[in-house]
This record gives sequence, structure tokens and C-alpha cells, in this order.
Amino acid sequence: MSETHPEPIDPETAPAAAPSAPRPLSLRGRAFKALALSPEPPLPEWLAGLDAALKRSPTLLKGRAVILDCAQLKPEPDALEMLMNELKARGIAVLGIEGADTVLDGLPPLLVKGHPSEKVEIPSVPAEPEPQVVTSITVEGSVRSGQSVINPTGDVTVMGSVSSGAEILAGGSIHVYGALRGRAIAGAARNPRARIYCRKFEPELLGIDRLVRTAEDMGTALRGKAAQVWLDGGNIRMASLD
Amino acid sequence: MSILGLFQKRSSGAVARDRLQLILAHERAESGRPDLVIQLREEILAVIANHVAVEPDKVKVTLERGEGVSTLGLDIELPLGASAKLDAKLAAKLAEVAANKGSAKPASSKKAA
Amino acid sequence: MAKVLVVTSGKGGVGKTTTTAALGAALAQGGQSVCVVDFDVGLRNLDLVMGAERRVVYDLINVVNGDAKLPQALIKDKRLETLHLLPASQTRDKDALTDAGVARVMDELRDKFDWVICDSPAGIERGAQLAMHHADVAVVVTNPEVSSVRDSDRIIGLLDSKTAKAEKGEDMEKHLILTRYDPMRADRGDMLKTEDVLDILSIPLLAIIPESQEVLRASNLGCPVTLNNPLCAPARAYADAARRLKGETVPMSLPVERKSFLDKLFMRRAA
Repeated sequence: MSETHPEPIDPETAPAAAPSAPRPLSLRGRAFKALALSPEPPLPEWLAGLDAALKRSPTLLKGRAVILDCAQLKPEPDALEMLMNELKARGIAVLGIEGADTVLDGLPPLLVKGHPSEKVEIPSVPAEPEPQVVTSITVEGSVRSGQSVINPTGDVTVMGSVSSGAEILAGGSIHVYGALRGRAIAGAARNPRARIYCRKFEPELLGIDRLVRTAEDMGTALRGKAAQVWLDGGNIRMASLD
Repeated sequence: MSILGLFQKRSSGAVARDRLQLILAHERAESGRPDLVIQLREEILAVIANHVAVEPDKVKVTLERGEGVSTLGLDIELPLGASAKLDAKLAAKLAEVAANKGSAKPASSKKAA
Repeated sequence: MAKVLVVTSGKGGVGKTTTTAALGAALAQGGQSVCVVDFDVGLRNLDLVMGAERRVVYDLINVVNGDAKLPQALIKDKRLETLHLLPASQTRDKDALTDAGVARVMDELRDKFDWVICDSPAGIERGAQLAMHHADVAVVVTNPEVSSVRDSDRIIGLLDSKTAKAEKGEDMEKHLILTRYDPMRADRGDMLKTEDVLDILSIPLLAIIPESQEVLRASNLGCPVTLNNPLCAPARAYADAARRLKGETVPMSLPVERKSFLDKLFMRRAA
């Protein structure tokens, strides 16, 4: 920020005028805090940075008094004009220019002797969350009683069996190429399209998304068969694969 | 030979009962003074060391808990040159130590040439 | 260098100590030098089954603590020269068994014997984990009964994750011994079928030990069943198991079973 401090003109010392002359204009000095933009070369990069800041905080410079500090950029006159146009295009009204040698017609006035003031924090918006990498886990052997296999971001495939007392928790689907005797919960990351497949259906507990069913409510029709389990309109459905 | 012959006349259940009674009696007595045997051994070793330098490795302790009496066996390899007089003196000393410690019979010591 | 075997189960009372004594004696009878080690702390069982309860001076904790050297703690069997016992402590705190201490003792045992058989306590806590940690081979003892099978499965999971072999990424050789097998109940369908147990546990079958009075009799007398009465059914089954452990191919025999079952057993062993 820089302050503008023009020399005050004391109206008391101004010479008294003739009674019929118009009243003398009184001018006072005023000091304001203004935001200073200090572009650095290379200009395109700086403009990109400006755009990113504006994207994060669109009202950053809205209605603010902005001073353009050209000390670092030291632009040629036509470069300065181009810069002004760029800033105008972004809705940034420049109050004055400092750090330039000459000023051109049509451009804001030249300012001198700016005093630095405290920094202005650009409010930061949290960075975009990392996109979730979807992974798949494969267990080569069996999952024994007491063991847990958890993969919140993807599928779980078990080449062996899942013993009674073991647990599989997947964000995606669960595929068991042996017997499923333990607990299987698929679609744990709010994925109602996840399914559970197994070659021998004997689970203790099944779950898809937030719905859960225990062995008691599964009936005996599918027991020992190859089966798939899925969610259909808020109900857990089970059917033989053969 | 097979110990089966000894037990054929008695049922295995009876043998089990006897074994249990014996060992439990010992264990109940020992729970008041654990590691008695270990202490005994340490002290005996110390006594021997006063007379002759013996390596701890060369002292072997065995124990047989019996009905009326338990037998503590000490196998000590004495270095070459220990004299016969030492034997008698040592045996007396050891008997003293053993008597102080409990109702165990005195240890028997053997000498290796 | 010795082979270290752990006899474990998860569930209590299924026949670990009986199996340890029987296998130890059978291997020693075959000329191998064997040491059986009781890994329980606070409860001492192996010495009773081996008939050495009256001769215990030092135990595993004494050796770990340095109160005694290993040779002083080892009890030689009166019947078999090449069979020794390292008893457990009856009185001391289980925390006295340190990882480093046990590792040191195991190394010493490995140097002295052909086979070191570790009798694991029941459960999955420290004693059981210590017993299995240094093993090259595991024998999982299971009764054909639901809780025993589930506990054995849990133990197998631990064998694959908490042992030195597992930590090195190596596979541990595992075998199943089915104990307390009653052929008549099996025929009637009143007992979990052997195929079912094998299907659930998925480890190769080492032996089926039939339920027998001889086991109790031998324990009463303080003699491993393979020594006490080598001709009885469980003794023969254990003797066959010992031979299979040594690498011999011995056909699985259980005369009361139907033929189709035997065929399935052959297929299972070949897998």
C-alpha cells in the first residue's frame, strides 16, 4: 500500500483576492491507503498469478483503490498501455501509477513518494482436494479368522476364502474366488452400485453402502452356492450366479 | 526295560492319583520357599569355591522328589590335583549346608580325576 | 541345524501337549535327538505328560534369566536317551520371558538337537506367539468341532503374520493334526467331517488321531502314548505323523472309514 501525500496548500496564506473575484479554491491534502499492484517480469506469468488470485477471491480488488507500481516492470510506453488494458479487462480500476518515468495521456496520473504500509492478505481458499486415486486390492491367499482387509477407495478381490470371523471392507465391490464365510461390506464409500460376488455363499454378515444384513435374515436357498449380492432400490438382493 | 510291567497290576488311574498327590504336596510346600534348590546350589558352589576353584558349568544338579524324602544330586567336576583330604572336609561342609536349608538328605559329591 | 516345530491350536484342551510328547518320543525312537519345550508360563503341563514332574530343577525362565545354563535345565528322558525336556515355569511372571532371551535359548537348542518341539499354550497371547515365533514348521492341532476349527483358523492367520518367517516374507510349512476323531460319530454324521475341516482350514493333513482311552492311560502313567503302547491306534497314527514330518510318504490310514473318503484324502494330500 502506499499513501498519497500531496503538499497541503494553506488557504490562510493565500493572497486575499478582490471582493468581486470568485472565491479561491481550497485544496486540502488527504492521505489514503491504497492497494498497490507491482507487476514483475515476465508479465504473462504475473498476469496468470493475478488471474488465479482473482479466481480464488473474485472480490479481491472490487471497489478498491489500486495503484500500479511499475518500478519492477519498467515498461515501455506501449507495454504500459497494454498492461492498463489488461487490468481494465479484469475490472481493475487504476487510481495512479508510480515508478514510471513518464505518463501518457489517458492514463492515470503519476504518483511519487509512496510510503509502504502493511501487507494485505489475500484470503486463501483451500486448495482443491486431491482427486481420490481408485485402487484395487487383491489378496492371493485366504483371509483368516480375526484378519481384516480394508480398502476404502476401491475393490477387494480374494483368491482364496474368507473365514468365519474375518472381515472385508471395500469402497467398491468385493470378489471372493473361494468361500465367503465371514463379513463382507461393499460400497462403504457411499457407493450403492457396489456388489459382492463369491463362489460359496456362507457369510456371517453382508453390507452394501449403508445397508447391512446378518446371516439370520438371509435364508438358506443360496447356502453353499456361487452368488452375487447387490442393492436394488434400497433392498439387498441376492441371487445365484449359476 | 519297559516300566509297563510294574504298572500292570494297578490301574493307570491309581498311578495318576499317586503321582498327583506327590507332586502337589511338593508344589504346595515349595510355594512358600521357591527356588530352594537354586539357593542350595548357589551356596554349595560358594562353599566349594572356598576350597577349590570350580567352574559353574561343571556343577550339575539333579532332583528326585520322592515319597518320604527327596534326593538332591550334585555332580561336581573338580579340577586335577584336588586332594583326598579335601573330599572329606568338603562332604562335611556340604552336609552342614544342606541340613541348614531343609529336610533334604545331604548331597553326594563325586570327584572326577 | 535343527528343525523347530511348534504345536499350537488356539483352543485349549485339544491335544497339544499329548501331541508334543507323542511326536517327540516317536522321533526320538527313530534315532533323532529331540528336545520338547514347554512354552506355558504359570501352568506347567509337558513335564507331567512326560513323567518328569519330580525331576524339575530349572525351567525356561531360569535359563532366559541366566540363573542356569541350558544343559542344567534340560531333563533327559529315562526311557529314551535322545529325548530331552525343557520345562516351563510354574511360579514366575510371564513377562520374564523376553523376546531376546527366548531367541537366545532357541539358538542354543537348535545347535544341540535335530528337532526342537515347542508346546504352545492355548490362546493367542504372548505365550502362544512366543512359541510360534521361531518355528520352521507348525503343527495345528484341531478337534472336529466348530470352536476348535475357528480358533485354529485364527492361529493359522497368526502363523502367517506374527512369526519370524512371516516377517521375512517366507512361507511357513503348516500341517493339520485332527485329534479326538471318533469314526462312529463321523459315520453317523454327528461330527464335523474331515473334508469340511480341511476345506475350511486349507492346510495339508498330517494325521488323524482317533479318540482313545490309551491317550488318557498314557498321561496317567506319565509316558508319551507312542512309548507307552506303540501298537494302539493313536500311537500308530502319531508314529506315521512323525515319519511324514521327516519327509516320508506314508499313506493315510483310518480303517473304519469308507473307501470314497480315503480317496478324497489321497487327493487332499497330493495338493
